[in-house]
Amino acid sequence: MQTEPLLKIQNIEVFHGTFQAIWGLSLEVRRGEACALIGANTAGKSTLLDTINGVLHPATGSIEFMGQEISKLDSFEIVDLGITQVPEGRRLFPEMTVLENLMMGSYTPNARKHCKENLERVFELFPKVKDRQKQLAKTMSGGEQQMVAIGRGLMAHPQLIMIDELSLGLAPIIVDEIFKTIHKIKAQGVTVLFVEQNVAKTLMEADRAYIIETGKVSLSGTATELRNDKNIRKAYFGV
Amino acid sequence: MMGTKMRIKPTVLLGYLVPTVLLAFLPMAGFPRAWTLYVFLFAIYLAMANMWNLLAGYSGLVSLCQPAFLGIAGYAMVIGTWLGIPWGIGLLGGAVIAGVFALLLSNAVFRLTGVYFSIGTLVVPEALRMVFYLWRPVGGALQGGGSGYMVKGAAALLPPSYIYWMALLVGVGSMIIMRIVLRSNLGLGLAAIRDNERSAAACGVDVFRLKVYTFVISATITGLAGGIYFLNMGYIEPSATFNVKWTMAILLATVIGGIRTEEGPFFGSLVTVFLYFLLARYSGYSLLIQGVILIVIMLLSPQGIVGMLRKMRWYRNLTAYSEG
Amino acid sequence: MGHGDLVTPILMGVMLGGLYALTALGLSMVFGVMRVINLAHGDLVVLASYGSYAVLTILGIDPVVGLIITIPIMFAIGVLIQKYLMSKAVTIGAEAPLIIAFGLSLVIQNTNQIMWTPLSRGINTSYSQASFYLFHRQLPMTYLMDLIVGIVVMLALREFLKRTYMGRAIDATAQDPRASRLMGVNTKRIYYYAFGIAMVSAAIAGTFLGMTFPFTPTSGTTFLTIAFGTVIIGGLGSMMGTFLGGIILGLVQTLSAYFLGANAQMLVLYIVIIAILAFRPQGLFGR
Repeated sequence: MQTEPLLKIQNIEVFHGTFQAIWGLSLEVRRGEACALIGANTAGKSTLLDTINGVLHPATGSIEFMGQEISKLDSFEIVDLGITQVPEGRRLFPEMTVLENLMMGSYTPNARKHCKENLERVFELFPKVKDRQKQLAKTMSGGEQQMVAIGRGLMAHPQLIMIDELSLGLAPIIVDEIFKTIHKIKAQGVTVLFVEQNVAKTLMEADRAYIIETGKVSLSGTATELRNDKNIRKAYFGV
Repeated sequence: MMGTKMRIKPTVLLGYLVPTVLLAFLPMAGFPRAWTLYVFLFAIYLAMANMWNLLAGYSGLVSLCQPAFLGIAGYAMVIGTWLGIPWGIGLLGGAVIAGVFALLLSNAVFRLTGVYFSIGTLVVPEALRMVFYLWRPVGGALQGGGSGYMVKGAAALLPPSYIYWMALLVGVGSMIIMRIVLRSNLGLGLAAIRDNERSAAACGVDVFRLKVYTFVISATITGLAGGIYFLNMGYIEPSATFNVKWTMAILLATVIGGIRTEEGPFFGSLVTVFLYFLLARYSGYSLLIQGVILIVIMLLSPQGIVGMLRKMRWYRNLTAYSEG
Repeated sequence: MGHGDLVTPILMGVMLGGLYALTALGLSMVFGVMRVINLAHGDLVVLASYGSYAVLTILGIDPVVGLIITIPIMFAIGVLIQKYLMSKAVTIGAEAPLIIAFGLSLVIQNTNQIMWTPLSRGINTSYSQASFYLFHRQLPMTYLMDLIVGIVVMLALREFLKRTYMGRAIDATAQDPRASRLMGVNTKRIYYYAFGIAMVSAAIAGTFLGMTFPFTPTSGTTFLTIAFGTVIIGGLGSMMGTFLGGIILGLVQTLSAYFLGANAQMLVLYIVIIAILAFRPQGLFGR
């Protein structure tokens, strides 16, 4: 594993108009790991993902990806560089089939080069998706949609895939199944950053995690450290 | 929260009335006729711009329907003179008819969201133009075609200063109406609707009814101003009446002054009437020039003249005082 | 106005439908992708009509062939409008795009009037007066061309949206702009192209409209109303719906001309559109 982190965020502040959502936040994601961002709904997690992705831009601070400063780049450039987001609520294109959604994921020049191999990979990781490829996206169940959404994210040929609220609205069995696949993805060399509200589950699946509260990092560490942390246990497990 | 701030400060009221009274003396003091015409047009545009501002600026309803209202009221008044109806009743009746027309339209147009509403309202004056082109309710067929009507009877003999004073009344009346409405519950409701219609509805605002009220008020006053205008013209015919030139002038008057500001239509009408005189020689280009001005103002200074004035402290102090 | 032969107006109405659907395409696309109703759409179509007219009368080139010239020009105009007017307008407020489109509409109208006088014009080629026979009725050739062009362009557009990267990006952006951005789509640039393509269809529509009907600088309002009515009846987002909407309006027009005379046809059309707005704004096939 390289010593240089894949993604390095330093002291960013992000505003929605005049409202400040993120306050002096710093974190890093290391290559090949599954890193989690945990926090309540309004903590700013989605804003953070959008900022990394280039949909929003930080007012101050820096974001480095593979050593390159990306905080001022537009979203389509960042996706091409290798960061992709699986947004909250899946956001599949409702009037497109599963296959068309996947192909839409392979839009950037970099992604198009690897389209075929990525498609095979997605089908291999999610056999159910392969079965239903001609189906309209909006007719799929929540769990299937989540799989398609992750598959679509993989079609962008990312180095880093960011998944926002993957377990939202899904049955625990499905969530387990999806996490198993995420570990497979991780094993294939894609770094995973995921955002969750479900603390217990997250700390079992992640390597490292950051706790985000009101736009700042309040706690960080390896999953084991956090599981044993007294404050966490009290706040989230009531122990 | 009963009609808060519906009382106007006495000094502010004087601020409305004194200039009006002074202007009322204009035709008698021997000033050039052009000045009287300027103030006349200014008052008419002011009334119509205020009403459009109420719709588009404060309710988010970009209405392209105004020519329909002024035209219907105008036709009602003129046809009334052919039927022996006194011009005063014709004027007020015309305004009422315009309001009723708006009421009838409401069901059609308020199912529509903003954009659909605009096109829906665009079609109405067009349709009316055709209707009045084909339909001659009174009088025989005109020789040589055309479908206009002259104002008949006593109305045609009215001293111009009477009409002038009526215009002044409508103009200043529209300013006072705007002041009252904007500070009333209706105004609050409209602001809520404009901001977020669904939230407003969730808060118990009867969105449909408020929109209808606004639409009808706007139509009635616009109709009244239109009736006075045609009383002055002495003649009405479809193609100049149900014409987008009116819409352009009204829009421009509001936008130049500052859409969604109370004083905006005032300043905007001043400028627009001035432009009207300036461009009189270039009538072939007037829409082009006005269109460009509209676009430029909208892009560069969306708050118009008032936007620029508000940057100055003395102006902010003045308006804060009049808020009371 | 014989009361025996209903078949002719019916056939003509259907063929006209193809043209009306074509006119509506641009409006529908701009709304679908950018969520803006382009009030200037009708006038842009008329602009294209005058453009083709110029190509014929000044350059002596057949207007259909002349599309080689008019299409790129209209595409460029579309890109410029989106880039410098509309994209700025949406950041200002909800009313801004409408007001600016209104201003643009009148600028175009007035410009056309200055250049071409208010005189009514028509694009008359060697085949404009030709006719063909169907079911023993004599029908104008231009109407048949209208239908064919309408179908061809709609099919071409559908293929474009399904099969090319750009087309799919446009379709995706129309369905979910945010998700599109996350796929690496440059949505700003997509908006330019979408408007440009809308103007391409307007160029074709304008050319054939000019060959079918006489037009004046103020015809834009009529074309906008027809386009809008077509989109409303068919429901947004459904190409088949737009096509059927066009046919319905075409039939309304030809049949009311048949029963009520030529003067009434536009009025009836307008009333029908207002009625549909009043009672079924989601159209017949909308999604």
